[in-house]
Amino acid sequence: MSQRISKDDLRKRTGAWIANGKTVAGPVQVKPGLVLYAQLQSPEVLLVDGWIRPGNSIKEFVFPRHEALYGYAIDGAGITLHDLPAEIPEQIIIGAHPCDAAALPILDKLFNWDYPDDFFNRRREATTVITIACAGHDEQCFCTSVGLGPAAERGSDVMLADCGDGSYEVRCLTEKGAVLWGGTVEPAGDGAAQAAAKSVAGPERRFEPSDVAEFAKEHFEDPFWREHALACVGCGACAYTCPVCHCFDIVDEGNSHGGVRARNWDACQFAMFTLHASGHNPRPAQGARQRQRIYHKFLMYPEKFGEILCTGCGNCARNCPVGLGVLPVISEICHAESI
Amino acid sequence: MSGTIGFEPKIVAFVCNWCTYLGADLAGTARLEYPANVRIIRLPCTGRIDTNLVVKALEIGADAVLVSGCHPGDCHYSAGNYHARRRWMLFRDLLEVVGFDTRRLHFTWISAAEGRKFQQVIMEITEQTRALGPYRPYETEPAQPGASAGTIHPPALARDFAGVRQELRAAARRLLEEGKVKVVIGYGASGPVFITRPEDSEHLEWNEGCLANLTVYLKRPEVRALGAAAVVVKGCDERALVVLEKESQIRREELQVIGVACEGLGQAKCAACDTHVPRFADQIISSTAAQGEAPADGRYADLERFLEKPREERLAYWTAEFDRCLKCYACRQVCPMCYCEKCLADKNRPQAIDSSPHRKGNFAWHLSRAIHLAGRCVGCDECTRACPAGIDLRLLNLALARAAETQFGYRAGMDPAVEPVVGVYSLQDKEEFIQ
Repeated sequence: MSQRISKDDLRKRTGAWIANGKTVAGPVQVKPGLVLYAQLQSPEVLLVDGWIRPGNSIKEFVFPRHEALYGYAIDGAGITLHDLPAEIPEQIIIGAHPCDAAALPILDKLFNWDYPDDFFNRRREATTVITIACAGHDEQCFCTSVGLGPAAERGSDVMLADCGDGSYEVRCLTEKGAVLWGGTVEPAGDGAAQAAAKSVAGPERRFEPSDVAEFAKEHFEDPFWREHALACVGCGACAYTCPVCHCFDIVDEGNSHGGVRARNWDACQFAMFTLHASGHNPRPAQGARQRQRIYHKFLMYPEKFGEILCTGCGNCARNCPVGLGVLPVISEICHAESI
Repeated sequence: MSGTIGFEPKIVAFVCNWCTYLGADLAGTARLEYPANVRIIRLPCTGRIDTNLVVKALEIGADAVLVSGCHPGDCHYSAGNYHARRRWMLFRDLLEVVGFDTRRLHFTWISAAEGRKFQQVIMEITEQTRALGPYRPYETEPAQPGASAGTIHPPALARDFAGVRQELRAAARRLLEEGKVKVVIGYGASGPVFITRPEDSEHLEWNEGCLANLTVYLKRPEVRALGAAAVVVKGCDERALVVLEKESQIRREELQVIGVACEGLGQAKCAACDTHVPRFADQIISSTAAQGEAPADGRYADLERFLEKPREERLAYWTAEFDRCLKCYACRQVCPMCYCEKCLADKNRPQAIDSSPHRKGNFAWHLSRAIHLAGRCVGCDECTRACPAGIDLRLLNLALARAAETQFGYRAGMDPAVEPVVGVYSLQDKEEFIQ
C-alpha cells in the first residue's frame, strides 16, 4: 500500500534531515526569475509548489564543478603526495526532476568503464534522490523524445506523485530510498496518484534519437554544422547546466612548496578544450565543436555505452544566450532532412 | 578585534624598480629601521602592475597591499605612473563596490632619495593594519538567497513590433539585392541569424526577445568569412561599434549598420537608457519609437541603492553571487569587447587566474573581467543576461562606468572623438588617495 505525505510534513521531514546533519539539496529560488538546485539551509526555502525547472542540474552533487583530488608537497627530497580528508556527508536531493535523476545511472557507466572513479562513486553512494513526478513542462522539454517521461523512475530512490490535494503519494523504488523514507521497496506500486502521474503525456515527441545518429553518420563534413554554429558564442553554459555532460580538466594549484591537484568541469565548446601543446587544434572552429556535442550525445556515447547522453531536460536551450541547444539543433536537422 | 593578539600583519608591496625600490634600498643602507612585515616585490614600473597581482596578494593572505612608484614627472618610462594612477582610481571604485576593505590598499610615490619616507610609510601601514586586524575576505559567510539585491526586471512591454519588423526585412533585402553586403546579421525567431539570400530576409524578427548584442559577431572568423556585413543594432549595442572602431577592431566604412530606434525591451538597462536611438547608423528604422529621454532616477540608480549597504554586506552579497559562478565564460563570450584571441583567464604559463570555479578563482575572474572592461563596457548587459547562475554583473559594470564618468567625464561608446579613458592620462588626475 502506498504511503502518503502532506506537503507540510514533507517540509518537516526535510527540516529533520537538515537538523540531523545531512546535506539536503533541492530547488531554491535564488533570486527573481532564477531557480537552482542548491543546498538547503532551512526547509522553508525548498521550492516544490508548481512546476519549475531549475536552471542547473543535480550532477554537481555527485560530480562537483571543482574537486580537490589529492595534495602534493615539494621539498628538497622531491615530491610527496597525500590524500585529502574525504568525508562525504550523507546527501539527500529532494524535488529532483525525473530528467535529472535519470542522469545518474548514465553517469555511473562513464565513471566506471575503465576504472571505478572513487571520487564520483563515494558521492553517488552517499546520495539519495527523491524525485517529484513532473506535472508540467515547457517548450524546451523533450524527455519523451529520449525515452523518458514525466514520471520516469530511472535513477530515483523515492518517487513522489502529487495527489492534487496538498499531499504526495510516496513510492520507494530502491533499498536506499526505503531505508531513508522508512518504507518498503515497491517496484510496481498501486497508488492512484502514481498511476495518474504515469499517464501524464508530457511534452510531445519531437524526434527519434536513432534518426539523429543516422544523420550524424552521414553528415560529418556537412556545411550544416558550420552554418548552424555561426550564432554559437562558444561558452560552456549548455554543458555546465546539462545533467549528463561530464568532461573535466585536471589542474595543479599551489606554489613552489606544494598544492593540490584538482579537477574542474570543462566543456567541448571552448576552443581551449582540444588545443594541443603544439598549437594544433583538431576542432578549430565552432562548427566542429557544436558537431562534437551532438555526436557525443547521440552517436558516440550510444556506441560505447548503449544509451544516449541526453535526458531531454532542455537546460542547454534554456541557458543558451543565443537560442541554440540540443532540441533547436535537432529540430533544424529534422527540418533539413524531413526525418 | 578578537584573535589579533600577537598578530603580525603581512604586507605585500609592489614597487617600481627605479624609485621606490631604490628608496627602500636607501633606507637599508642608511640603517633606517622599519617593520619586517613588508614583503617587497620589485616590478619595472607601477604602470606594469596588473590589478590581478593585488587580488593575488589578498588571495594568499596579505593583510594589506602597497603599490609604490615614482613621483609624477619622474617616471623612468615617462608616463607609467600616470597610467597606474588612473587604473588605480578605477580599481579602487570596483573593490569598493565588491566590498573589499580599501583601507588596506595603499598607493604611494616614493623616490630613490626618500629612504626616510619609505621607512615612515611602512611603519604607518604596519601600525594601521595591525589595528585593523587580520584580513580574510575570502572567509566571508555568503549572503543567503532572498537577502540579495538582485535587480528585478520590469515585465516585458506588450507592444506591436510588426512595423519595425517589416522595415527591417525590407532594409535587409535591399542591401543584399543591391550587393552592398553579403550577410545581414540580425535577429531570428529564437536567436541571432545570418541572412545571406534576399528571400531569407523574411526570417528577420523584431520583438522583446531581440536582446543579443550582435556586434559580438563582427570579429568572429567564421562570420567574417561570409563577406561584407550589415548588422542590426539598438542604441545600446551601437556604442560597442564606437569602441571597437576606436580600438581598431573594425573598419566602420566596411560595415553597414541598420539601427533600430528602440523604446526599451523590458530589461533593467532599458529603464536607465538614454541612447534609445542609434546615432551613427547608416539607416534608422523607427516606426513607433519615442525619442530617447534621460532616465528619471539616473543611470546609476541600481548601483547607488546597492552602495547604501554596509561594506560587509556588499562582500557577503558578492561572495554568494560568485560562489554560484560555474566559469562557463558566457559573460566573456557574449561581450563585444572581449575580443582577445587568448583571454588572460586561458593563459596558463603561468596561470594568471586560477581556472578553478572556487571562491578565489571566481573573485579573481570577475574582478579581472570587470577591470579589463573599465571605460570600455558600453552597458549592453549581455554578460548579465547570459549568466546561467544569475550573477548581477551589471552592478560591477556600472561601478566602473560611474567611476569613468565621475572621475574622468568619460562614457564608453558615446563620442568617437574622445580618447579612451584607459590608455591616456591627464596630469590633472586626482590623487587624494596617494600619499
